[in-house]
Amino acid sequence: MTRFTNHGHLMRASVLATVVAAAGFAGALTARAADEVTHDRLLNADKEPGNWLHHHKNFAATRFSSLKDINRDNVKNLKVAWTMHLGGVEGGGIWTHGGLEGTPIVENGFMYVTDGWGSVYKIDTHGGQGVLAWKMDPKTDHDWAGGVACCGVDNRGVALWGNLVISHTLDGRLIATNKENGQVAWQRQVANPDKGEVITGAPLIVKNMAITGVAGAEYGIRGWLAATDLSTQKEVWRTFTIPGKGEPGHDTWKDDKNSAASGGGSTWVTGSYDPATDTIIWGVGNPGPDWDNQYRPGDNLYTDSSLALDATTGKIKWHYQHTPNDPYDYDSVAENVLVDVPGPGGATLKLALEADRNGFAYAIDRTTGKFVWGLPFVKKVTWTKGLDQESGKPIEYDPNKQVQRYNAAVTPHRENKVADICPGNMGGKNWPPTAYNPDLKLWYIPVIESCNRITVEESVPEKLKAREFWTGGGPSQPFKITGSVTAIDVTTGKVASKLETPFPNLGGILATPDLVFSGQPSGEVMALDAKTLEKRWEFNTGGGVNAPPMSFSVDGKQYIAILVGLGGAWDKWFIDATPELKRIQPGSMLYVFAL
Amino acid sequence: MANGKMSSITALIALAAVAVALSAPGAALGQSAASPDPTDAGKAVFKRANCFGCHKWHGNGGGGYGGDALSLRKTELTREQITETIACGRPGTGMPFFTRGAYDTVNCYGMNRQDVGGQMPPEANTFLRATDIDVVASYVIEHIKGRGEPNYAECVSFFGDASRVCDIYKTPAEPNANSAAGAGKAQ
Repeated sequence: MTRFTNHGHLMRASVLATVVAAAGFAGALTARAADEVTHDRLLNADKEPGNWLHHHKNFAATRFSSLKDINRDNVKNLKVAWTMHLGGVEGGGIWTHGGLEGTPIVENGFMYVTDGWGSVYKIDTHGGQGVLAWKMDPKTDHDWAGGVACCGVDNRGVALWGNLVISHTLDGRLIATNKENGQVAWQRQVANPDKGEVITGAPLIVKNMAITGVAGAEYGIRGWLAATDLSTQKEVWRTFTIPGKGEPGHDTWKDDKNSAASGGGSTWVTGSYDPATDTIIWGVGNPGPDWDNQYRPGDNLYTDSSLALDATTGKIKWHYQHTPNDPYDYDSVAENVLVDVPGPGGATLKLALEADRNGFAYAIDRTTGKFVWGLPFVKKVTWTKGLDQESGKPIEYDPNKQVQRYNAAVTPHRENKVADICPGNMGGKNWPPTAYNPDLKLWYIPVIESCNRITVEESVPEKLKAREFWTGGGPSQPFKITGSVTAIDVTTGKVASKLETPFPNLGGILATPDLVFSGQPSGEVMALDAKTLEKRWEFNTGGGVNAPPMSFSVDGKQYIAILVGLGGAWDKWFIDATPELKRIQPGSMLYVFAL
Repeated sequence: MANGKMSSITALIALAAVAVALSAPGAALGQSAASPDPTDAGKAVFKRANCFGCHKWHGNGGGGYGGDALSLRKTELTREQITETIACGRPGTGMPFFTRGAYDTVNCYGMNRQDVGGQMPPEANTFLRATDIDVVASYVIEHIKGRGEPNYAECVSFFGDASRVCDIYKTPAEPNANSAAGAGKAQ
């Protein structure tokens, strides 16, 4: 019976293909050209308001949709338009289940989403409904990848280039799938799970290249960014985030144990691109071992830094490090949002904004890498008294010291093995993306308002083994963790408003002209007033929101879409801080809302 | 149609039987000749109860985001102590209790829920019956406790050879699982 059913599907598919080919032949060339994603279209992504072509909406990573049919006055009427169950819930490696962290990409009414194991779904959203056009299952090696994924079975989505859908898999591949038929055109192994490397981020497409970031700083990797030429499928450049011998910055690893070789510096959140200077700006993660900073004396460049690279060559242009010789797992892997705001004396400030795990939001001059302003965006910071107003470094930072203690009373180290820190090691702000409203000049941060307890375990070289944790300790959760959406006025560098939420924000933000959309791991999707953050609408999805909302239009109608399925690090490692979330079931579901 | 369904189920069962038969020699490869877990019952519980989520497949545990799961390879616990640890968890740590009613109707280390207070270990996602705890304790004693560094044969006996998860344990002397699979395809 099964065989006949499949046969029927095949028959229908081939008949359909023939009909489409015959009917559409004359118009095929023009239709195709309109649907080809070019560098020019990617540069001008915001000129296609109904589409969402980039992971972060545009190269500047603002996640701002100018669509405003859904607005603060009518959002109370927002309802579920359609839903779709996805797959990828199954476990693998050390994980009991997958989750959804992706941002849907939409082009001309067709949506592309991924599940945690990297299956890509193409969904036709025309006609007020969602119809699955195809699913590409990359057959990810669950145990190989899941055994070294520190923080969940995650995939944050795809990118588009030419007539291809470009995606990653947890087991380290870059895959190009034919947009029309869902067939894999080619694939290439970019990361190596044998070394503890996995990929969870969406690719960034710059010119003819796919930029890939890597995860694995908890497994002793040496982080990198890699550019693959999408035409030749060859690697154009690979830049390590930990400098090698003889390279600038290598002397910030001052031990005699070659700690730099396993020094971490992951790059698992998609970066941004400044076409004016052909510069990729990408966040770099924590050093390893996470909590034993005596193992790796020195500032440990370029961990915990925003890194600017020449897009053509991969050469490092500048860096700005937030937490030198980090003893807290305060990575800086977050996206940098590129915005221009009026500065003193009529000048334009060209900023890169980053909200860090360490609880501080930073504005850096993105042409020079110099600090402009910084402020705490969480309610409680204990690890430092604040930032130096000139350099932006933590006040206690001493460049002459090889091992930093910051506020020594709360800093975990070998002689203070158990310490409570605020923010906790999840942040602050983790991977869930911020959004920026260019009209209001407000920048919205999805916040984890947290403290947690760190227990240090002294690292020794013998403990460093392939595919084994290299963390120098671990966190526990004796404190309740909540969250907020916090808005920063980028013209002043001050907090404009804060909406506190019962649970940490594990999903991220979408901004529209007068609204902000976000979610909660307890299931709610909400719309807030863009200025006051007053709640205007809420819907409970019945699952855990662990992904960012986005907006698109098709057939002239605006929609809000969000993936729902709690996975990631939280429900394995941090759930004790939010005991109510233990009741949230694994799931894998796409929700689409409309008026 | 009903017949068609039946036959595919029968085929599945037949396939499963073949799979079991095929995996048996592989399982024996990594273990002492007289395997005390001939039906893989202990290993099945080790997987189902997510022991390997923290202790890892090889039992060595190790530091991580969830803290430090102790090494079952280096453990000096006796069989009785292992059984009690599984049943009752370890107070004050992340090791959960797997027996329904632990610290309530089931005595744990001579303590009830009140006695253990803030040190109460978490409740496991899966409760295990006494027989399950028995077979998984046996599995730990016979297959994990006292072993040295994890090796390829042990890894393959845990995962099978469909995944590349064990490749890092390969030594030049190991049979090449990939080429074996390739040869299989060629036939």
